[in-house]
Amino acid sequence: MKNLFRIDVLHPAGLAAVACTALLTLAGCASTPPHSDAHMAVAQAAVEHANTPGTSQDAPMELQLATSKLVAARTALADKNYERADQLAEEVQIDAKVAELHAQSARSRRAAQESQAAAAALRDEISRNTTR
Amino acid sequence: MNTRLLTLITLTAALGACSSMPERNSDLDRAQGRLRSAQNDAQVAQLAPDELKQASDTLVMAEKAWSDNEPKSKVDHLAYMGAQRVVVAQESASSRASQAVIAGAAAERDRMRLQQRTAEADRARQQLASAEQSNANKTAALAQADAATLREQARADSSDARANALAQQLQELNAKKTERGYVVTLQDVLFDTGQARLMPESAGFLARLADAFKRNASLTAAIEGYTDSVGGSNANYELSDRRANAVKTALMSLGVRDEQLTVRGFGENNPVASNDTVDGRQMNRRVEIVFGSQSGLVLAK
Repeated sequence: MKNLFRIDVLHPAGLAAVACTALLTLAGCASTPPHSDAHMAVAQAAVEHANTPGTSQDAPMELQLATSKLVAARTALADKNYERADQLAEEVQIDAKVAELHAQSARSRRAAQESQAAAAALRDEISRNTTR
Repeated sequence: MNTRLLTLITLTAALGACSSMPERNSDLDRAQGRLRSAQNDAQVAQLAPDELKQASDTLVMAEKAWSDNEPKSKVDHLAYMGAQRVVVAQESASSRASQAVIAGAAAERDRMRLQQRTAEADRARQQLASAEQSNANKTAALAQADAATLREQARADSSDARANALAQQLQELNAKKTERGYVVTLQDVLFDTGQARLMPESAGFLARLADAFKRNASLTAAIEGYTDSVGGSNANYELSDRRANAVKTALMSLGVRDEQLTVRGFGENNPVASNDTVDGRQMNRRVEIVFGSQSGLVLAK
């Protein structure tokens, strides 16, 4: 009875533990490693963050590279090529950042030109006013 | 045979890989080239040093992976990451340079606007100042003109007053208006007979006469001595001259200045009456004090 009780209590638990360990081990091999999922999520977030009208306009090629690389990363993940998936996910992040910065520097350059043009216009106006 | 050959080739390749340096990774070389050019770009080096450091660190890792004979895919990946981080540094530097330009241009606009406003304010101030100056000048000119008018008026008034006062004094001395000016006559009775010495009775008259000269510093007079026709001409000249000088001396002793008086003896000339009668001869024996026109006295025409 005592034995039985013990078996009744311990056995399912022990069984479950064994099953869990086996499952986890299997999962480790068979399903996505958690850090790959995380990398993928970060990569996707980076692409979504970069995907603005401004970036689409000023850095379409860079944005396209990040987007297509995200697809490649997902494919690598689906192919269980986790190392490649992680690398691609990391590259997606830097590509998305490059796209954003490229668009930002283009905008800044235009703003600088406009600002200089405005200063020049004001200078002209003032010199006209003072000579008048 | 085939299997053995393959094994040999594989073994040789493996040995070769171990003994000699692995082949250079072209992606890594390109990434290193980009890093160097970015490092040599002063703008990137100054404006994005942190980003440049990250790119450099990544390429150090790539080099290590390559020299550790890590898989080409890993070296390629790290080389790619390094190259993209170089781009991040370049784009960041470009943005920051543009922002600096924008800030500088904005500052220049502000400075120009400030200068413009300052210049406008200065101009307005100058215009106001010159307008005020002009007003002040006009006011001063008007005031000066007024003052000059008043002074002129006062001068004329005081001149008139002095002339009137003098005329009054001369009237009191029984001065007579003649065509030569006012003439006051000292009669013979005021002198000792045949002498130039003045009688004590003349004192009051002479005092009033001296007072008129002292009140009017610019008053001048010619003291002219005359005699009747009795006696020698030279003696008459001499007596008339002495009597005139006696009057001058008396006046100067009463405070009249020398330059106010001229003296001349005319002897028996210019008689005012006939020398044929006693009364006429007495009238001719006289000293005349003729007031000059310099006195400001209004002469009768």
